[in-house]
Amino acid sequence: MSAAAVEFRGVSFSGPGAPPRVEDLDLSIPSGELLVLLGRSGSGKTTTLKLINRLLTPSRGEVLVEGKTTTAWTAIELRRRIGYVIQEGGLFPHFDVARNVGLVPVLLGWDPDRVAERVREMLELVGLDPRSFADRYPDELSGGERQRVGVARALAGDPPLLLMDEPFGALDPPTRTEIRSEFATLARSLGKTIVFVTHDLHEALSFADRIALLARSRLVFLGGAQGLLESSEPEARAFARTLPRRLQ
Amino acid sequence: MGFLGFLAANRTEAARLALEHAGMVTLSTGVAVAIGVPLGILAVRRPAHEWWILGFANLLQTIPSLALFGFLIPLPYIGGIGARTAIVALVLYALLPIIRGTHAGLLSIDPAVREAAIAMGMDSWQRLRDVELPLAFGVILSGIRVATVISVGVATIAAAIGAGGLGVYIFRGVSMVDNRLILAGAAPAAAMAIAADLGIGALSRRFSRATNRTPP
Amino acid sequence: MLALAFGLLAGCRPADRVVVGSKNFSEQVLLGEIVAQSIERRANVPVQRRLGLGGTFVCDHALRAGEIDVYVEYTGTAFTAILKRAPISDRARVLAEVRNTYAESAIEWTNPLGFENAFALVVRGEDSERLGVRKISDLAAHPDWRAAFGYEFMERADGFAGLARTYGLRFDQQPRTLDLGLLYRALVDHQADVAAGNSTDGLIASLGLRVLTDDRGYFPPYDAVPVARRSVLDRHPAVRAALESLGGRISAEEMRRLNYRVDGDKVSAEQVAREFLSSIP
Repeated sequence: MSAAAVEFRGVSFSGPGAPPRVEDLDLSIPSGELLVLLGRSGSGKTTTLKLINRLLTPSRGEVLVEGKTTTAWTAIELRRRIGYVIQEGGLFPHFDVARNVGLVPVLLGWDPDRVAERVREMLELVGLDPRSFADRYPDELSGGERQRVGVARALAGDPPLLLMDEPFGALDPPTRTEIRSEFATLARSLGKTIVFVTHDLHEALSFADRIALLARSRLVFLGGAQGLLESSEPEARAFARTLPRRLQ
Repeated sequence: MGFLGFLAANRTEAARLALEHAGMVTLSTGVAVAIGVPLGILAVRRPAHEWWILGFANLLQTIPSLALFGFLIPLPYIGGIGARTAIVALVLYALLPIIRGTHAGLLSIDPAVREAAIAMGMDSWQRLRDVELPLAFGVILSGIRVATVISVGVATIAAAIGAGGLGVYIFRGVSMVDNRLILAGAAPAAAMAIAADLGIGALSRRFSRATNRTPP
Repeated sequence: MLALAFGLLAGCRPADRVVVGSKNFSEQVLLGEIVAQSIERRANVPVQRRLGLGGTFVCDHALRAGEIDVYVEYTGTAFTAILKRAPISDRARVLAEVRNTYAESAIEWTNPLGFENAFALVVRGEDSERLGVRKISDLAAHPDWRAAFGYEFMERADGFAGLARTYGLRFDQQPRTLDLGLLYRALVDHQADVAAGNSTDGLIASLGLRVLTDDRGYFPPYDAVPVARRSVLDRHPAVRAALESLGGRISAEEMRRLNYRVDGDKVSAEQVAREFLSSIP
């Protein structure tokens, strides 16, 4: 059995002089799993995500990635092994699509031909024709196209771990639905460990292997989709009610 | 016009003074950029230092220019009469717009872009060189533009301490109550300021296309 | 531009007051203070001071426009710079000429104070000793020296241009122009080798500087005389008497000493003037 890709051991985090955003979190994510962090706004899911790629460091406890604590890793080495996709995209406006996607391979020192090939591959993977998209700039793309580029960028360096923070949240519903189903297929074929943050149960149900439900900075449920729907835990029930009647 | 005739009749001297003037402005702006941009970066990277960096630059601007020249004269090494002291004073005056421009430019970068750059595993220098400075460049350049235009004006005062430049004509004109002389200094100085402003403005437009493509 | 400024200020002048002006260097401010206090003591007329106004031409304009009523001018300066005549060395004739010409504009030259303050070419004492530079014509041998002058000296007919012509002077580097107050410092700090100062400056001796002799008699005489608007003198005969009482009271020695009190001992002009006036009957 593969070792845990990510582990949280007794982790708490609070900003200076602020109440805890994550409290006493114990969680183990096996390699290759797609775990969804589900919860309301302010429940601590984004904080939890950022503790993995060391954008934040725990106030108490340890976060381990590939068996090493995040603080033992060199931050830069750690982050180059983790793909990161955020809701706003964060594409560099002054780089064209090709340069955006090729960012991590260039940082890793790949030679230019290999980088160009990889960029083409990644764009095709996310459903964008390299011939028409490679030279465009982010301000020339639609929201959906930008998010696809964001995913391509996150995957370009072939990282074993992918973190995604509500990546499809800002898209209009038809686009969101399209992208979501494409992503579900893609995720299964990649074989990577994926941690996906969302507040939308429907989204979680589309592709999660397991769901970690956070409420008020604590983990209140961890398990499969079925288990969540049948759980009597109050927050789980609250989320279950967001589904159309027939699915509850 | 009287002063144009004067300039034509004294073109060697006028050219020399104009060159001295432009030289003081260019050199001091260059030094101010070399000092001010890093300070602006520091103020953003270490917010703890923001207060004294911006505060110091603000303070310098409140000192009337002639007074600043006066303060610097008695100092050893950087003081004395002449162009060197003037350049030190001009550097100090140029610092505020440049530090502010750098600071504001860096802070104006979309936080998502900054976060993405960190999360990709870019180190500090790479982020600065490839992401932050290019994106902040437009605002930084407008700070430099303001600094240059101010410098051209303040450099006219440098003539009071023997630094040369177009201010020489202005001071001579004032002491002789001769408007023609005053204009012979003031008009070229104004023209220089306008040229610098337009020139840097054009430069800034050329770069903005490349760096300011913010998605809607 | 300056006329507009003066025009605006004209509106603010209160009626029966005597306005005493002066140029913008130390000796002038002191003389202005002496004139003002003399009028206050003897004539019992309120005095408004506008000292340190600017250069020669600023004061001349102000006097003719009625912005100031009296200031101390130097005969040679009026002769060559204001009246734009070619410089001559006959002391009595220069005074007579300026007196007569100014009278046509209703301005009176009262009594000479007793000293002359001429442009003085000043060098460092040690250079003078070492290189035997004692007269202005000795300068021709040092074209590598750096000169520092005030703005007026560069522009005036009795200034550098005429001097260079008379003595055949040529400097490798263009003379630098700067504020009068900085000239001696430039010499002391070795940032200039020769400067055009004033012969009665208090600091010359104390800074170890030396005045070069005008061996070819280039400079005209510069006798110091209070110059006043006739209308004011007619309206206040006591003011005329006060000015006349200063006639012949200040020798060159005395002027230097008084200047040193202000520039060297750092005593206020106001106090030095008071001390001086108490010491003369």
